Amino acid sequence: MSLGLGLALVLLLPAAGALAVALVPRRWLPFPGFIALGVAMASLCGVLAIGSKAGAHPSFVLDWSWVPECGLSLSFLVDGLSLFFAVIVLGMGVLVLVYSRGYMAGREGDHRRFYAGLLFFMGSMLGTVFSNNLLLLFIFWELTGLASFLLIGFEHTSEEARRGARMSLLVTAVTGLVMLLGIVMLKQVTGTYDLATILRSPLPQTHKDWLDACLVLLVVGAFGKSAIFPFHFWLPNAMTAPTPVSAYLHSATMVKLGIFLCARLFPIFGERELWAPLLGVPAFSTMLLGAVLALMSSDLKAILAYSTVSQLGYLIGYYALGPNGGVDYDYLHILNHLFYKGSLFMVAGIVEHAAGSRDIGKLGGLAPRLPLTAASCAIACAAMAGLPLTTGFLSKEFMLKEIFSAFSVHGYLGSFAVVCVVLTSLLKVAFSAKIILRVFFGKEPETVTAHFHAPSAWMTLPPAVLSGCALLAGIAPSFLNPLLQPFTVPGLHAGTAEHFQIWHGWTRELWVSLAVVLAGLALYRVSHYGDRPCPGVPSYLKAERLFEWLHEKTIAAGRASVRLFQTDREQSAVLAVTAFAGVTLGAFAWKQVFAGGFGPLLQFVDFTGGMSPLRLLVGVFIVLPALGLVLFRSWGGQLACLGISGFMVTVYFVLGRAPDLALTQLLVETVSIVAIYLLLGRCAKQGLLEQWSDLPSSAMAQGLRVAVSCSVAAAVGVLILVVTGMPHHNPVGNFFIRHTEDMAHGKNAVNTILVDFRGLDTLGEITVLLAAMLGCLGLLMRYRRNSEEQKQGRDLTPGLGLGEEGKS
Amino acid sequence: MQTDTACIVAALFGCGLYLVLSRNLVRTLFGFLLLSNAVNLLLLATSGDPRGKEAPIVGAGNFPAVDPLPQALILTAIVISFAVTAFLVVLVYRLALDHGTTDSEKLFAARSDGEENTP
Repeated sequence: MSLGLGLALVLLLPAAGALAVALVPRRWLPFPGFIALGVAMASLCGVLAIGSKAGAHPSFVLDWSWVPECGLSLSFLVDGLSLFFAVIVLGMGVLVLVYSRGYMAGREGDHRRFYAGLLFFMGSMLGTVFSNNLLLLFIFWELTGLASFLLIGFEHTSEEARRGARMSLLVTAVTGLVMLLGIVMLKQVTGTYDLATILRSPLPQTHKDWLDACLVLLVVGAFGKSAIFPFHFWLPNAMTAPTPVSAYLHSATMVKLGIFLCARLFPIFGERELWAPLLGVPAFSTMLLGAVLALMSSDLKAILAYSTVSQLGYLIGYYALGPNGGVDYDYLHILNHLFYKGSLFMVAGIVEHAAGSRDIGKLGGLAPRLPLTAASCAIACAAMAGLPLTTGFLSKEFMLKEIFSAFSVHGYLGSFAVVCVVLTSLLKVAFSAKIILRVFFGKEPETVTAHFHAPSAWMTLPPAVLSGCALLAGIAPSFLNPLLQPFTVPGLHAGTAEHFQIWHGWTRELWVSLAVVLAGLALYRVSHYGDRPCPGVPSYLKAERLFEWLHEKTIAAGRASVRLFQTDREQSAVLAVTAFAGVTLGAFAWKQVFAGGFGPLLQFVDFTGGMSPLRLLVGVFIVLPALGLVLFRSWGGQLACLGISGFMVTVYFVLGRAPDLALTQLLVETVSIVAIYLLLGRCAKQGLLEQWSDLPSSAMAQGLRVAVSCSVAAAVGVLILVVTGMPHHNPVGNFFIRHTEDMAHGKNAVNTILVDFRGLDTLGEITVLLAAMLGCLGLLMRYRRNSEEQKQGRDLTPGLGLGEEGKS
Repeated sequence: MQTDTACIVAALFGCGLYLVLSRNLVRTLFGFLLLSNAVNLLLLATSGDPRGKEAPIVGAGNFPAVDPLPQALILTAIVISFAVTAFLVVLVYRLALDHGTTDSEKLFAARSDGEENTP
């Protein structure tokens, strides 16, 4: 099997699985969870097969044309970075699907929707990481946001879930659009959307400002997705999602897309002066802020969310300080976070399931009841705190080492980074201790005892696997080198990675680590002395208030603008439309006057030609009743005027050599007058219509009405003079007259146009008639007499509404 | 043909528009009828001067005939405006039955009240 076909299968499988799970009825597909699991495993095998076939340093492009006009193609880049992320997405996906099996059992809601959402997300993630075309990357990028929206809002009956879903969608989608701007600008500079081409060739030395702006826009996209300050607030609010979703999307994969983008951009922009401060300052600030907020929170998932925010800052900051020539340990940091944070989120789900609460203050003493979970949690917390024998220790040692070396290179930024990293490590020790001690040790509250029920093995095994990985890789780190080696990417990685060892000797980093751990434990002891409750996050640190404010104001502004331009009164609407027409025509006429008066415009008008006494007489009988209609007050008089005017139009048609029109007009006019007489006259007799004439309105409204009517009338009159005055030598109608016999086999050209030449238009006309008829029927048949009324044989006015029964 | 048609159409337009802008929906309906007549005459004016011409029926007499295309358009327009008229008549009738008035101000006020009352 060729690589192209294999990759297409890997990409299509989750999408197909999502469709199947969502659409195939339950009785044909009884276990959506197992289907999803099978799909994820098959895709994982596919990615591993592609990776092994591609060799040690794969980098190749698969290209299918899609929309060549705008440079969009289904182009996929297979290299170390995309394979690494694909393995993470699918491997974590398998574990999360196993975990979901236990988590969702016995839960409300449509499980098929849940699994379809997870598979949809998996497919769009794979698309994002493999995309070679930047526009394609943007499309998949936004699809992941959409999947996240659907999954956060899975329990859509809850207001909180809807709010969190909306917030995450708005933040990630809007920042994604900013990223699109950056992509388009990059295309303007480099001339292509093709990532592999951009990576291969150095950026042009011109357009420096342009490139800097482009970098800023792209980085905004990455920050939005990875919840970096000032977009950090959406991630804690997304914790209303079911826990498997939080573990998968909001710690392991989707929020890592920002890191992925930074890794992709590193070879392109890493040498620029702007790179380090632009990424570093927000990233390190976020790292510290997240850690502080995590220590303040009391909700288990909120602690984890803020610590994720902190860790995402750490990862982006790592790329920011990356020494020239490449970074070395980014995969180690990402894997470490994946292991412990995935495990901790799953543990949080188990605890909530078993003890009925996520609040640290209401938990305790769960270790004897949940030994395996407690062990998983302990290892994961140790990794988070960076204690030895875990991957966390390795990750922190290398981070400290690089940051101490970056200290000299980056000046102020370097010292800022050192301070942030040390303080954050300290805080991490403190809240790791808080999680493990408050949840699993101490006294068990009575509420927990009352609620407790044991979780199934489906739930407890996946976090144990993740924690086991963190522990194994921590004890025997030399395994990691050969594992990560094939994923290195030239340009991003320097290729000078040290061999991972469990013991590096009494180095400077080790002393700092030791001090940090001790200080962190002391901080926990001081801040959470005894049973003091957690302070919670103070409102002035919640950036979502600004977001909510903006959100509300935007909606209010939308309402206000609608109120400004839209009215419920039909007169105002008509007035606006006709006044617009009048103003446009007036402006046109004004321009003509300036261009040399009406002379050139009216030069073809024959003012007296074609006048005959008979036609003038008929015209008078059309216009006079129309004026009467305006002036008369009695409804009989008005109806008579309407009829006379309409029938005189019939005569005018005869004079215009249009017998068909005259016939039709005669029929239609008769039926219209009869309908009005019958229906409205009946209402008038029953006293339902108080008057037929105009209702009083203010002098200004009346003046406006007269002015608009007169000016539009004048404009239309001039329009007709000009239009009919223009000589047209070859009217299309001659064609119809010439060919009505030989092509349509009829003598009357008007008829053949209607039923033959333009028959489809007539079909449309008949459809309009049908629609109007159905509308009339709907309006008239709303009332159905009940059996009693039928017995009485009451002769009700047809269509008399239910509400009128009391009145009549 | 031009001047008199222009005058008639302008007058019908003015009267029709004046009626359409009324508060009373029955008057709006009448205005709509006048306006559709006016538009039909406007279209007819584009088929040219009928003097010395015949109806566009082949073999009915001597040529030349008037342009048949505007007539076909008008025929369609008449039928469609009839459909709309019928719908409007029934709509006004329905409003009069249900609310006892065709005053759009009153109807509007009733609707706004209803909106405020509904939770």
